[in-house]
Amino acid sequence: MTNSVQPPTTQNGRPPEARNVLRHPGGRFNGPAEKAKDQKGTIKRIWTYLKNERLGLISAVIYVVFSTILSLLGPLLIGVIIDKYILVNDIDGTIRMVLLLAAIYVAGAILTWMQTFVMIRVSQKTIWKLRQHLFEKFQLLPLSIFDKRQQGDLMSRMTNDIENLNAALSQSVVQIISTILTVIGSAIAMFYLNWILAIVTMLIIPCILWSAKQIIKRSSKNYKAKQRDLGSLNGFVAETISNSDITTLFGKERQTIEQFNIANENLRKSAMRAEIVTGLMGPVNNFINTLGIGIVVGVGALMSINNLVTIGVIASFITYSRQFLRPINQLSNLFNTFQSAIAGAERVFEIIDEEEEPKDLENATSKQKFNGNVEFRKVAFQYNKEKYVLHNISFKAKAGETIALVGPTGSGKTTIIQLLNRFYDVSNGEILIDGINIKNYRLENLRDHIGVVLQDTYLFSGTVRDNIRYGKLDATDEEVEQAAKIAYAHNFIKYLPKRYETMLVSGGMNLSQGQRQLIAIARAILEDPDILILDEATSSVDTMTEVHIQKGLNNLMNGRTSFVIAHRLKTIENADKILVIKDGSILEEGNHESLMNKQGFYANLQNQLHIQE
Amino acid sequence: MRSAIKLTKYLKPYMFFTIIAPLMMVLEVAMDLLQPTIMQHIIDDGIANNDTEYVATMFGLMILCAIIGLIGGVGCSIYATKSAVNFATDIRKDLYETITYFSSRNKDHFTLGKLITNITSDVESLQRALTMLLKIFVRGPLTFIGAVIIVFFTARELFPVLLFVVPILAFSIYFFTKISGKLFLKVQEAIDQVNTKVQENLAGIRVVKAYNRKQHQIAQFTSVNGSLMQRNIKAGQIIGILGPLTMFVVNIGIIIALWQGAIKVDNGTIQVGVIVAFINYLMMIMGGLMSSSAVLMNIARAIPSANRIVEVLEETPEIKSARSVETTPLKGEVEFVGVSFAYNEENEPVLKNISFKALPGETIGIIGATGSGKSTLVKLIPRLFEVSKGEIRIDGMSIKKIDIQTLRGAIAFAPQRATLFSKTIEENVKYGKDDANIDEIIESLQSSQAYEFVEKLEAKEKHIITQGATNLSGGQKQRLAMARAFVRKPAILILDDTTSAVDSISESKIQKAIIDNFKESTKFIVSSKISSIRHADQILVLEDGYIVGHGSHDDLMENNKAYQEIVETQLVKGGTLDD
Repeated sequence: MTNSVQPPTTQNGRPPEARNVLRHPGGRFNGPAEKAKDQKGTIKRIWTYLKNERLGLISAVIYVVFSTILSLLGPLLIGVIIDKYILVNDIDGTIRMVLLLAAIYVAGAILTWMQTFVMIRVSQKTIWKLRQHLFEKFQLLPLSIFDKRQQGDLMSRMTNDIENLNAALSQSVVQIISTILTVIGSAIAMFYLNWILAIVTMLIIPCILWSAKQIIKRSSKNYKAKQRDLGSLNGFVAETISNSDITTLFGKERQTIEQFNIANENLRKSAMRAEIVTGLMGPVNNFINTLGIGIVVGVGALMSINNLVTIGVIASFITYSRQFLRPINQLSNLFNTFQSAIAGAERVFEIIDEEEEPKDLENATSKQKFNGNVEFRKVAFQYNKEKYVLHNISFKAKAGETIALVGPTGSGKTTIIQLLNRFYDVSNGEILIDGINIKNYRLENLRDHIGVVLQDTYLFSGTVRDNIRYGKLDATDEEVEQAAKIAYAHNFIKYLPKRYETMLVSGGMNLSQGQRQLIAIARAILEDPDILILDEATSSVDTMTEVHIQKGLNNLMNGRTSFVIAHRLKTIENADKILVIKDGSILEEGNHESLMNKQGFYANLQNQLHIQE
Repeated sequence: MRSAIKLTKYLKPYMFFTIIAPLMMVLEVAMDLLQPTIMQHIIDDGIANNDTEYVATMFGLMILCAIIGLIGGVGCSIYATKSAVNFATDIRKDLYETITYFSSRNKDHFTLGKLITNITSDVESLQRALTMLLKIFVRGPLTFIGAVIIVFFTARELFPVLLFVVPILAFSIYFFTKISGKLFLKVQEAIDQVNTKVQENLAGIRVVKAYNRKQHQIAQFTSVNGSLMQRNIKAGQIIGILGPLTMFVVNIGIIIALWQGAIKVDNGTIQVGVIVAFINYLMMIMGGLMSSSAVLMNIARAIPSANRIVEVLEETPEIKSARSVETTPLKGEVEFVGVSFAYNEENEPVLKNISFKALPGETIGIIGATGSGKSTLVKLIPRLFEVSKGEIRIDGMSIKKIDIQTLRGAIAFAPQRATLFSKTIEENVKYGKDDANIDEIIESLQSSQAYEFVEKLEAKEKHIITQGATNLSGGQKQRLAMARAFVRKPAILILDDTTSAVDSISESKIQKAIIDNFKESTKFIVSSKISSIRHADQILVLEDGYIVGHGSHDDLMENNKAYQEIVETQLVKGGTLDD
């Protein structure tokens, strides 16, 4: 099954009707379908989600079975009507039978719709639960998972993979059942009506399978080539257009266009080949269907002349052979949808099985307020099992002190403070706040009282006000604006088109990085934490503005234990304690004066800067 | 729709394919349509008369029809694909070329992201729509019309059934298509909301965790997820009516045909084969209607893509090279005469009445707070933007009179955002000068203090940079971007805040290299740090788009308040401490 067709995958965002209505017989190719590693296990797990809806599922299956049987009865009855009533001119009998046929059709239509009605509810509720489960899982995962896995990868599990499962549940399950039933039912009906004609019809099946296989074999090869060329063209376009200022500045327009044209021409060739081969599927299937029906009619007619078969049977056969041939074309499509849906579900479960952030200890405590005495005792940390990024870090911060962390990029400054609010847990040693190991606090309680302004701050889509309020969900408008004023953010917010009600896009990308940081600072100010962490909080703000924020930050830091990673000397100099971090260890510790007197690493850095100025 | 018509000019070279494809499809459809009639003749004339020879002839005819149909279908598919792929490829080519020559203002107008989707997905959807248009959109209506006509001529007795069935079919398809458009728009909105929530929670996971907003986020997600489910169920259940309904209407048609047919067979007005053929045509009519409506919806979806493409193609490139162009090499004397600039007419100008003169060999430092216009000022020199008022002169000539290649060839510009290409370091530097030899490359890498880390890389200057240069730090990227500018040995060197992520010690080394290696060049250095520009021959202090200070460091220290203020906030322990 590896090299067969797959229906157009519904990228999240395209309405599902596009995927089932519009298919020239045979469908389109989307390359080979992928297979789940543990198909059985995954299906079992999908079942745990489906289980709650089993009543709906069972009724849907019953509807399918009955509507399929009814749809098989139709043609049989038509044949009977022609042979037994019309041909013998029995008008009353015809009317009676026709009414029976009408009843069958009415029941069939209602059952078909009921089946859709129920199945959509079943699949949507299941999908809802899975999506909810996955999202809640995202919230519970430790940061190391987000470091390990790319954002796009996680995103695609939530969107594409779940959407594939949705498609399979809402359509394929029912369709597979009805298709198999139709095929078997039609076959039985045909053999019952006339075994010779039935065998003739059956002979056509190998032809269909063979031709489909031939086309698929060629198509998936060409399709891969096309995907490759399309991928490299799109990559080229994304990069050169994002960097187009450089192209302009260096006068490389001609050269870039030539490179693009080469990629474009490659795509023209491979797309042409792939699409042409794919396009053959439709007409070839159409041909086989027409041929099949033609043979049935031709052979049937010859048999009829010899009184081996009646006209009504031929009429029934035409319908049956149609019903019989079409699903066979679709069946491999359906199995592929199903298979890739299971593979997708497996990817979703893979995340759901990831280990969560450690649970709170049973006797974990909560505190209304932290004094802010922080102590690191022989703390060591490794992101993965190979290499320690922090070794033997020990220091004390008294309540209300400002601790500055200084050191080269990659020395471990950020890691140290990320251990404090348990973004990561220490590998060895312990961290104490107010004399208690931080693992003994409830995680929520701990994070509630530690305020963080990150280097790469993130803003959510919503208004400026919503984003500041994120620090304290029940803050009044006045409190929000007050915080913004302290953070010096009010100064630019008042110039925004709708001031505090200005909508931000995801990530806050319609603001400059400096402005985003000011909002993040306002957010931290509003949170009013007992311990404050500023990780390069002012690095993207220009010096003039920084002077103003610094006043706000000084107010904020006053009376709280603060950890500051900064590279501007002024912030560092005023700290109560400076930790010089190098290669994951504390190299020097003291205040500005004592470190300058020591004539070590810190003093050396300082001096170099002074010479330069 | 108008834009779709405008794009038809791209079909011209492929007119043959475009016309032949539907014609081939006509062949396939015609053969499909013939089949039930032949069937009817086999039953009514062949079987009824026990004429074996006639049946055999008709059977042969049916096979022939199937083969001709196959040829038609395959031909249509091939020519439709040829037409559509060529059409799309040519549009893509023109689009890319147009966008490449866009000025920054043109690009800002559309935004880069939209331009990228334009070339990638919009062109794709256009290609898909054209293929469908040529294949199925011909097939659907043609099957429908053909079947109706044939029924009219060969089974006129049963034609009234069509008068009943077809309007109901057409109406219900129209009605449900319209409703489904609305319903799926709602579903789409819900999908977008869910996606935004997920994406934000992934990107902002640290913030969520730091602020302990798990419950808040889950509550928000539960609500969007729930509304997605509700809308999906509603849409699915309502649209699910269409399938059984149309099938039911067709079946009712069959019932009426059987009933009326029985009476007419009894009268002797028709033969039984007519009924069989009619049932087949009824199926074709339904299929034709359904597929036309589906294609119509897909084509409707491609129209916005066509609009976006035409909009880009019709955008007038802002920067044009003058007619009487000057191509003599430039020496680098730059003069701004009363220059003002606004990004668009409604907005306040970003630069107001800027005048100054820079002589070859001089260094011009430009300083000011974020948003003061310093970066915009230097972007006007290579004509990334066109001035709104006033004039910029190089060597005494207006830059609009200078050949654009000559102008940009004389300038080396290292922009604020150091963007590199996913090629080797060597190739990236060579981007500045195609024929640079290895010595020149290493020299410029050394000048920008990049060589110290390049040297440590395993492949050295052959090291391949990943897309977006994610494997380099900000400072490393800036150093490489500077090397790319340095290798040009330009008359005018512009560094737009290129050392913001470079540590102070390396920065001073770079400054020294610039002084040593670019004695003849006019150098513009934009920065918000005093240390980067204090040694410049002239310093321009910008505030809100005005020059509020102009002179050397010493002059300004003496008599310029704005400058003194900046110095005060920075020089007194304002330096940075980093690796």
